Amino acid sequence: MAGWSEKVLEIDLSTQTYKTYPLDMDMARLYIGGRGLGARLLWDLVGPGVDPLSPENVLIFTNGPLTGTGYQTSNRFSVTTKSPLTGTILDANSGGFWGMQFRKTGYDVMIVRGKSDKPVWIEIKNAAITFHDASDLWGMRVFALTEKLGQNNNKRNVLCIGPAGENLSRIAAIMNDRERALARGGPGAVMGSKNLKAIVVEGKDRPEIVDKDQFKFLLYEARKSLAQSPLTSQALPEFGTVVLMNIMNNVGALATRNHQQTQFEGAEAISGEELTDNYLVRNASCWACPIGCTRISRTEKVEGEGPEFESTWAFGAQCGIADLPAIIEANALCNDLGLDTISVGSTIACAMELSEKNFMDSELRFGRADQLAPTIEAIATRSDIGADLADGSLRLATKYGHPELSMSSKGLEMPAYDPRGMQGQGLLYATSNRGGCHMRGNMVGPEVLGAPKLIDRFQVQGKSSFVILHQNTAAAIDSLVLCKFTNYGVAEEYFARVLSAVTGIKYSTGDMIKVGERVWNLERLYNLREGFTNKDDTLPPRLLNEAPTDGPSKGWVVQLEPMLKEYYRGRGWDENGIPTKKKLAELDLEVLL
Amino acid sequence: MPTVKIFANLRKIAGTKELSAAGTTVGDVLNGLREQNPLLVEAILEDGTIRPHFVITINGHNALDLNTPVTEQDVIAIFPPIAGGS
Repeated sequence: MAGWSEKVLEIDLSTQTYKTYPLDMDMARLYIGGRGLGARLLWDLVGPGVDPLSPENVLIFTNGPLTGTGYQTSNRFSVTTKSPLTGTILDANSGGFWGMQFRKTGYDVMIVRGKSDKPVWIEIKNAAITFHDASDLWGMRVFALTEKLGQNNNKRNVLCIGPAGENLSRIAAIMNDRERALARGGPGAVMGSKNLKAIVVEGKDRPEIVDKDQFKFLLYEARKSLAQSPLTSQALPEFGTVVLMNIMNNVGALATRNHQQTQFEGAEAISGEELTDNYLVRNASCWACPIGCTRISRTEKVEGEGPEFESTWAFGAQCGIADLPAIIEANALCNDLGLDTISVGSTIACAMELSEKNFMDSELRFGRADQLAPTIEAIATRSDIGADLADGSLRLATKYGHPELSMSSKGLEMPAYDPRGMQGQGLLYATSNRGGCHMRGNMVGPEVLGAPKLIDRFQVQGKSSFVILHQNTAAAIDSLVLCKFTNYGVAEEYFARVLSAVTGIKYSTGDMIKVGERVWNLERLYNLREGFTNKDDTLPPRLLNEAPTDGPSKGWVVQLEPMLKEYYRGRGWDENGIPTKKKLAELDLEVLL
Repeated sequence: MPTVKIFANLRKIAGTKELSAAGTTVGDVLNGLREQNPLLVEAILEDGTIRPHFVITINGHNALDLNTPVTEQDVIAIFPPIAGGS
């Protein structure tokens, strides 16, 4: 069937063998690809109680029917696993080139299970799969390894872990194409636990498209829409994602010094305007992306991709640091070591607060740019203070007796948006299935940027319906798998139309949103099966009880309880946050129970 | 006189980050700015209304239209269309 290659590759590292088999196409129609298909497969493959760092956990790499077709931003792919940081279901997706190349090898899905008894790397050249000894590569950093294994953007692409993944840091990322990251929730540690250093892909298959004329028309229409939207044609290419720094600070929703404040006096110095004026070398873009939001930045010490807004915030405002070169260098170091910048920055900020309050004996202090690089190095190698920080802020803060100082939800460090100034964002963080995350349906569009329309960011009543819609839409886009930035310029109906053109199966916009809702509920079921309850749908006490004393968010805390009640009702769940039988039947999920 | 802070590509048009102009509403202030920098105001307004996706705040709170009142001490921030979040 066009749209899917209909093939699954399953690799067992314990025996260094592999097999291929047909993809269940009924499953594919319901879950599409990417995050949705990954979640459905993980449900069957990793049951309750499995240690995420044991051989019983799996890594599921998925692409989608649009991947590699040339549709705008059809470069992305996902990894799904059980998170070693949170214990929840985890998916992370990434752009660049690897996803497109993986699709060209002829597989929709690659499942990696077991554990090799020695370091190994895998090479997939079309139908040929080769296991290589990686003993001499173990310990190598990402940039050098990517080059050594022959990265060639359009022909041969490298996905790997750095020292952080090898050392099982629970905030380790899987890196692809040198500086792209499957970052959140610690998938790099899962790869490290399997002694798997890298997966290199080279392919030549071309994805089939059923209705080529309609596809070309939609490609043209989408290109036109993206070119006409000031968000995708001007804002993102001109200033990159860091342009959010000043506006989030202006509205009093920029988490600062481990969320002790909601405005940072140094915001201008680490803004997108400052980055563009003084450190930008040029723009870059992922495969088949006309937006080109990627920054190539340079300081006296480094030149490379980034930093994105969240990374700049994590090492900047969250750590009280207004030194942009140091932030650029911290971002590059995390990429080279294979670390999640959001979790690293927020964990360092947590340690800074613990230390300043004498709960922890360390020299870390807010504002000390010189402490970033050595602390990041220590995290990746679990040396010195890094031994405490390598597993994220919640384990760190718990060790020192103050878990409330971890700015995380379900153990995943939250990103830049302080939800006291964005009530919907607070609900979003609390209910996110992979923990405190802004990529499960970011409310910054409606609550701050006025995209598609501005709503009152302090409003509580009725906010849950926006959050649910954004969560479902995000899950649908993640299942296609496309970049969410296309949604700034292309109407949602295009997603259904292009999927229909590629697969020959008629999908409506309603069908796509239902896919998203199905995926969201399945992820919820997974977490419930792991023992999570409605008590885990929460935020750090600081955000619920401590109101900012100045700025536009003065006097506000997150009004979580009324929003949660409304949210559960809106989701069709019971008062304990458990999906009802009726809702599960509506989503074709009752068969799983 | 209210302070007006501008961001992103508006700074290139204005050649500065900050201006000020007299007025008791957002619209008044923008009209005041028109005399100083007509191109800047043209970039912000279209047919007498705020262009789509522009965000204007007063002391960090959204101004929904040009009639929103301002005082001498207020800080008006004007953002052209911006996006992001990764």
